[in-house]
Amino acid sequence: MINLLTGIDSTSSALDAERIRMDVIAENIANANVTKDVDGKPYQRQEVVFESVLRAQQDADSPDAGSQTVQIARVQRDSRPPRMVYNPSHPDANKQGMVAMPNINIHEEMVDMIASSRSYEANLAVVKNARAMAMSALSIGRHS
Amino acid sequence: MDALSALKMVTTPPAGGLSANSMQDLAASATKSIPTAELQQLSSINSDSPLQTSGAVSAGSGASFENMLGGLVNDVAQKQASAGSAVTGLLSGQNVSLHQAMISMEEANVSFQMMVEVRNRLLDSYQELMRMQI
Amino acid sequence: MIDALFTDSDYVAAKKMLDVSLLRHQAIASNLANVETPNYKRLDVSPSFEAQLRQAVAGQDSAEIASLQPALAVDTGAISGRSDGNTVQLETEMLKLNQNTVENTLETQLVSGSLARLRLAITGKG
Repeated sequence: MINLLTGIDSTSSALDAERIRMDVIAENIANANVTKDVDGKPYQRQEVVFESVLRAQQDADSPDAGSQTVQIARVQRDSRPPRMVYNPSHPDANKQGMVAMPNINIHEEMVDMIASSRSYEANLAVVKNARAMAMSALSIGRHS
Repeated sequence: MDALSALKMVTTPPAGGLSANSMQDLAASATKSIPTAELQQLSSINSDSPLQTSGAVSAGSGASFENMLGGLVNDVAQKQASAGSAVTGLLSGQNVSLHQAMISMEEANVSFQMMVEVRNRLLDSYQELMRMQI
Repeated sequence: MIDALFTDSDYVAAKKMLDVSLLRHQAIASNLANVETPNYKRLDVSPSFEAQLRQAVAGQDSAEIASLQPALAVDTGAISGRSDGNTVQLETEMLKLNQNTVENTLETQLVSGSLARLRLAITGKG
C-alpha cells in the first residue's frame, strides 16, 4: 500500500482498538441488570487491556524506529464479586432475599466511555492532519 | 521519456538517426549539428577572451562546449533517474515520503528546463554568429 | 552544474525540516494512538538531533545540513500524570499535532517557492 499518510499504521490501529473498547463498554451497560447469564451466574463485567506494539516493518536504522501501534491484548472478565442487593420479590432472590447483581457501576462505565471517545476523536484529528499535509505536498510542483 | 523526445525533435538529427534512449547521443548530436570547424573556432574564441561562460566549464581546449553540454546532460539524467526511483519507491510502499517524491520530481523538471534553455541560448548565439560572418 | 541550483542553504534547510516535521507527525501519531496504553512513554524527535540541526542551519552549511539524519527518541522530560505510568497528555499532544501541521505547511511553501523562483529565473515566466 502506498504510504501517503504518515503515521497511518499507528492511527488506524488506535481507531480499531477504541472501537472495540466502545463495543465492550456498550455490552457492559446493556447487561447491567442480567442476573442469569448463559452460565447461570450473573453477568460479569468485561474490560479491555491495551498494549503497544512496535510497528511491523521497521528496521533499526530507519528514522521512525520506535514508533508504536496499539492493540487490544485481551478482553478479560472483571474478577470482582457480584453486588448483593436486597430484593425479595425478584425471581432470582435467594433464601435471604438477596439478589446477585452484575458487578457493573454505571458511573465507571460512563467515564470509560468518555475517555474512549476522546481518544477516538483525537486519533481522527491525527488522520485529518496527515491528510492536510499530504494535500499540501501534492501542490509542490503546481504552476499557476 | 516524452520530454526528451521533444528536445530531440528540435535538434537536427544526424543522417544515421538517433538511438531513442541515449542522452549521450543527444549531447553528441547537439554538437554535431554545429559543424566541427565552427565549433573549434568558437572554442578558441572562448579560451582567448577574458569573458567566462557560465557554470563549471572544463579547461578551454578544443571541445569545451561539448564537455559542458555532456556534463549538463549527465547531471540532468541523474536528476531524472533519482526522481524516477523516488516515485518508484513511493508507489511500491518503501520508505519514501510523498513530499520527497514531489520535490525530486520538481527538481528534475527544473533541471530539465535549465538544459532546454541552455540549448536554446547556444543555438541562438551560434545562429547569430553565423549571420555575422559574411 | 545542475546541482549548484539546489545547494542554497535555506532551500536545503527547508527540505530537511520538512522531513523532520513528517517524522514528528509519526511520533505524535504513535503517542496519541497509545494514550490509553499502560506504561507507554511518549516519543518525539531526539533533542540532540534538533540541536545539531539548529547549529548547522545557523552555520549555513548546506552539505552539513543535508547529511543530518533525524531520529526518534523517548522524551525523557515527560512526566506521568497518571497511575499507569503513561506519559502522554492528550491536550499537549493535540497542540503539538496542530503546530506540527502548520510547520509542515510552512516548509512546503518555502520549498515550493524556491523552486518556483528558480523556474522563473530560468524561463522568464512561471
